Amino acid sequence: MESLVLENPTRPKWKKVAYGGMQLGYDDNYTDESFLEEMVMNANVVKRDLSKVMRDAVSISQYLCIVALVGCVWTYTLESIVDETSLLFLDVGLLVLGFLVLLLTSQRLSLQVFFKYFLNISFFISGLYVLAPIYCTLTRSISSDSIWALTVSLLIVHLFLHDYSGSTIRPPGALNNPTLTSNISLNASIVASVLIASRLPSRLHVFAIMLFSLQVFLFAPFVMYCIKKFSFKLHIVVSFILTSITLGIIFQLHLLLFVLFFGLLVFITVVCPCWLIKMQEYKFEINGPWDEAKLCFDITE
Amino acid sequence: MVHVIVQAQVVVMTHAYGKRSGVRYMTNGLKVYYVPWRPFLMQNTLPTFYGTLPILRTILIRERISLVHGHQAFSTLCHEALMHARTMGCKVVFTDHSLYGFADIGSIHMNKVLQFTLADVNQAICVSHTSKENTVLRSGIPPEKVFVVPNAVDTAMFKPAPKRLSFDEIIIVVISRLVYRKGADLLVEVIPEVCRLFPNVRFIVGGDGPKRVRLEEMREKHSLQDRVEMLGAVPHAQVRSVLISGHIFLNSSLTEAFCIAILEAASCGLLTVSTRVGGVPEVLPDDMIVLAEPVPSDMVRAIAKAIHILPKIDPHDMHLRMKNLYSWHDVARRTEIVYDCALRCPSENLLQRLSRYLKCGAWAGKLFCLVMIVDFLFWQLLQLWKPLQDIEEVPDLVFPQHEYE
Repeated sequence: MESLVLENPTRPKWKKVAYGGMQLGYDDNYTDESFLEEMVMNANVVKRDLSKVMRDAVSISQYLCIVALVGCVWTYTLESIVDETSLLFLDVGLLVLGFLVLLLTSQRLSLQVFFKYFLNISFFISGLYVLAPIYCTLTRSISSDSIWALTVSLLIVHLFLHDYSGSTIRPPGALNNPTLTSNISLNASIVASVLIASRLPSRLHVFAIMLFSLQVFLFAPFVMYCIKKFSFKLHIVVSFILTSITLGIIFQLHLLLFVLFFGLLVFITVVCPCWLIKMQEYKFEINGPWDEAKLCFDITE
Repeated sequence: MVHVIVQAQVVVMTHAYGKRSGVRYMTNGLKVYYVPWRPFLMQNTLPTFYGTLPILRTILIRERISLVHGHQAFSTLCHEALMHARTMGCKVVFTDHSLYGFADIGSIHMNKVLQFTLADVNQAICVSHTSKENTVLRSGIPPEKVFVVPNAVDTAMFKPAPKRLSFDEIIIVVISRLVYRKGADLLVEVIPEVCRLFPNVRFIVGGDGPKRVRLEEMREKHSLQDRVEMLGAVPHAQVRSVLISGHIFLNSSLTEAFCIAILEAASCGLLTVSTRVGGVPEVLPDDMIVLAEPVPSDMVRAIAKAIHILPKIDPHDMHLRMKNLYSWHDVARRTEIVYDCALRCPSENLLQRLSRYLKCGAWAGKLFCLVMIVDFLFWQLLQLWKPLQDIEEVPDLVFPQHEYE
């Protein structure tokens, strides 16, 4: 209906009330000037800054490099370029390096905590050694192609669900428990390692590669988290070194793979942050009196 | 809901309730079609898009319907009925009773559905001005098309207690579903504090829900068993008897488009304390309600203020004022104006309507158009399969008692 409102100075002022029937001189579809006055737009939008987003994206590309390095080690081992003794040396080297990083970056690491870690790790290693023969024959009846396909898909799942901001192994002093998705991600990576290990000829091979993969998948995010917490600059430097090493190794492995991986890294650290910043323009948030009130206290069930 | 509209013939269509399905006449001659469509979750029917078209078409033709009025944005039956009614060329009015945010996935989906339905309604009705703002924002409908017609209260059913209650003991009544959205968690914080500050206050809590356990825990923890009475679910017929046993009505909702409970309490002569959310500030004049922010401390302050001004409140006076402020006859009259507006809208063909749907969004617009085109084709198929002249029209029944009330 066309509103038949005539500009009449004597009529009473319109009020934003629902009681008292139809307001004199105003139709029910009358829209006052105060309409949507209380609407607030983009009240709690976080301003993002390109350099910060790019620096945060480094964590992702860094972990991508770690996983790529694991993939390279797997490939070299399966092609028998790396033998079991050098693998075992690599394991020990990584373990020592990891411990050193933990000792240097953590202020709270006492001898007791160190001993606890040491005990856990020795249990873990002996358990793995006992189980190695089982892994060795696990997928004998399945073709290598299927195993590779499955491994790659599991790694993609792992990367997709990985918790890039924290660590699935709970570091001392961390606030939040690991989430369900990060646990799924960790399990996917462990299954992938078991599948790869099962293609290897000897028990010692299996043991060495399993130990290597689990060390990386379980502890690398933890160690990197500690580095990042200790000093952000160090984190960037470590990431840069890791990226260069990875790119070098992949370059030797396969040229096309190198180009793809390099493109992926550029996409993650440069294109995606720019994209996110660009999309911020379209952010449109509306608040007003119709919003459900938020409780200002915690509900303890 | 549609009780008092007299001149026109009103037919109500709803889904089956339990074993109740088929055509029923209510006491005042109102005809209700209970469509044999089972609700699957919280009184909603499964969305079937086109499943209801055949039965709806039959009903619309049998009853010679010229206007369809749908209620509630959550009702799939309502959305489907309005869509089919538009396809068949009826005029359409929609009433929105809910407020909705814009942030989460559920709201985004519901807002798109609302946009689809409202893209093609002739007029819309909202229950408060806040609700109108919300609906206009959610659906992009021009504000002139949206009327504000509040709910009302049957003041004859909610009369105050014949004798004035004594003030030795002040009784605060809460009647609401005990769920998160109704602010049951606020009650858990507010009740012990009020009991601590005012030793002569007692609470009566009517209603049931998942948060009832928390309230009972609170009662145990602060040993308030003798001061907080939990009634459980209160049938609507007994609401008045609960209300008139108290002095103050407490509403703790976190979101509310209108809140009829406040009207019922005010009609029974209770002073209302409520959270300042949604359309609540529009419901009553300032001297009949004490508003508070949805924060425990502010609510306690508001209750203290209410207790302070309580002796000045005369329940019977309050009741008489409510009689003037709200009546279903007024609502019916105003709704009829909306219907007249809708009926005066020019008829449009499918192409004109499709162009309106197309404006609803890059993807959604095309999807909406597709849905409407399929609906149109389905309707044409039904026209061939069961032509108009094969459907019998219902003869008018004349009831001895013509007018209700």
